[in-house]
Amino acid sequence: MAAAALREQLNALLSSMFASGLVDDQFQQLQMLQEDGGTPGFVAEVVTLFCDDADRIISELAALLEQPIVDFDKVDAYVHQLKGSSASVGAQKVKFTCMQFRQLCQDKNRDGCIMALAVVRNEFYDLRNKFQTMLQLEQQIQAQQ
Amino acid sequence: MASRNQGSAPRALVVEDIKVDCLILMHMLHKLNCEATAVENGKEAVDLFLERKTFDIVFSGKDMPIMSGPEAVAKIRTMGATEVKIIGVSADFGAQEAFMQAGADVFVPKPVKLETLQSMLEVVISKKNMSG
Repeated sequence: MAAAALREQLNALLSSMFASGLVDDQFQQLQMLQEDGGTPGFVAEVVTLFCDDADRIISELAALLEQPIVDFDKVDAYVHQLKGSSASVGAQKVKFTCMQFRQLCQDKNRDGCIMALAVVRNEFYDLRNKFQTMLQLEQQIQAQQ
Repeated sequence: MASRNQGSAPRALVVEDIKVDCLILMHMLHKLNCEATAVENGKEAVDLFLERKTFDIVFSGKDMPIMSGPEAVAKIRTMGATEVKIIGVSADFGAQEAFMQAGADVFVPKPVKLETLQSMLEVVISKKNMSG
């Protein structure tokens, strides 16, 4: 596919990610940092690191919530971490779901936390899929240049 | 403590265990022409000061393994490093009190904006120029 068509696809994807609230202006700031700084690959590096981290945290949370006695302090610490890194990359929906999750941790509501984890996981998987498509399109565009 | 490097690029220390946050902050600092060093916890930060490394500005996260940000800030101030500007950084707004009580100069909520970093560095740079 021609670079122009790929670029159009990428722009449409990014627009939809912003429009749906999946990402916010912090993600735009990362894009600007890449462009202004002449550092291709910066966004890819950040996004990849975030996804790896988030994946690991979600696995840890699942394991913690399976325990007969849940350590809500540990759960909260992980959710706080995920909320922080989500905010840093502009992953708005994941961030918001983490805020809800934290409240449930503080309430020591186990069932609520399990449901909140499911919501966080779904939002994260959706975002990760979009990020993966974004990176694939960028690589295809680069290959054409 | 060794004399500060006046009139040259500001020297920043990033104390942050979350890799994504560290990567972004380091990138921003390099973009703003800082010499930036990163460590993963408060103890590593304190160790650098014990080794008489000097910094113009420190950005510290709060919750880290081994030693937290506020704990490290308090130790750094106790060691006599009163001139270095210390910025507490956290997604937890409740962290502000802990940082300020420990001796931080200011608290900035995450995510840190480039413009915010730039403003802080301008204060550091003008201070360096005045004492030069």
